[in-house]
Amino acid sequence: MTGTDKSDDDRALAGEYVLGVLPPEEARAVSARLATDPDFAALVASWQDDLAGLADEIAPVDPPARVLRATERRLFGARRRRWWGWAAPVALAAALAAAVLVWPGFDPRGPVPPEAPAYRAELVSQDGDLRLAAAYDAGAGTLFVAREGGVVPAGRALELWIIAGDDAPVSLGVLPESPAMVVAVAPDLRTALDGAVLAVSDEPAGGSPTGQPTGAVLAAGALTEA
Amino acid sequence: MATRDDLEVWLARTAQGDRAAFGALYRNTSAKLFGLTWRILKDRGEAEEALQEIYVKVWHGAGRYRVNGYSPMTWLITVARNHAIDRLRRRRAGEVVLDEAIQVADARPGPEAAAVARSERGRIEACFEELDGQRADAVRRAYLDGETYAELAERFAVPLNTMRTWLRRSLLKLRECLER
Repeated sequence: MTGTDKSDDDRALAGEYVLGVLPPEEARAVSARLATDPDFAALVASWQDDLAGLADEIAPVDPPARVLRATERRLFGARRRRWWGWAAPVALAAALAAAVLVWPGFDPRGPVPPEAPAYRAELVSQDGDLRLAAAYDAGAGTLFVAREGGVVPAGRALELWIIAGDDAPVSLGVLPESPAMVVAVAPDLRTALDGAVLAVSDEPAGGSPTGQPTGAVLAAGALTEA
Repeated sequence: MATRDDLEVWLARTAQGDRAAFGALYRNTSAKLFGLTWRILKDRGEAEEALQEIYVKVWHGAGRYRVNGYSPMTWLITVARNHAIDRLRRRRAGEVVLDEAIQVADARPGPEAAAVARSERGRIEACFEELDGQRADAVRRAYLDGETYAELAERFAVPLNTMRTWLRRSLLKLRECLER
């Protein structure tokens, strides 16, 4: 092959290489050739440019905000906040209260936060009265939630929700009167937790009758990598 | 909408570690790459994971993009496409992984090829229409589904060598049309 003559064989080979259909040994031989044969490298680059046009047939889709957050965390590290400090005493209080009262059929140790949570979230109401700390135990597939404050009006309930991406909120249940609880996270939600939002809404006693939040959202916060 | 010049500036600054430029690059290109990645992987959760990895590669590899007559979008699409196909292939063991075997548009093109590449994209769609339906489909499947000769041969129920002859002829026909 001379510098200006590009055989059909090379044109096709460059296309096969870009498509990735070549057997491994042939692909490696082509890779090696790229470094020494600028004309052939140019053919490869042309195919990359032309075939990239196939991507124009595909409608763009905005990725959820959590993707950029997770990417930046991977690249630049997490900005950790010292919030667990107050949640630990809440959990301890929960354990102590449980230990003292010893409800029949109630684990006397009470729910305890996971030692190495995969994700955490902090939810604080606007007036700061209601505070929740959540920690997700990836091994168990459970979410530990500690609560502090927040007066529940008579006949009302506080319901916890998880919102993954643009999906509709999914109920994680009504917050118990005890200051801590553990809820199981459905398997299909476990992969969507990074950046998912936890929210607490004001609902009729027993929880939302519709399966979706009906009252005011009192507090919300996103789950981030712990 | 971001121009090609914008993308080139953001890529150059990203290569120097400019996080704001990286953010701008992400905001202006992620929808396109996410659509593509989701289309290839056919699973939204996996596409989100892949998109993170793609932009991690973009951050670390931005210095490898050279202003060389090819569009920065081509570079981004190639990085995303190859990464998504790699993930797809890891699900099926034993296949060539593109990142190992294939270099991404690192080649400095000769002036002739660069001139060709500068011609309008979108040409490829018109050129696909000149191909027989099945043959166009085979090229698309190789690019967007990462199908190999063995898989294509099975799909179209032809011997592997016949499949290869088909695809090579289709590529030559496309090249001829693209350069017309």
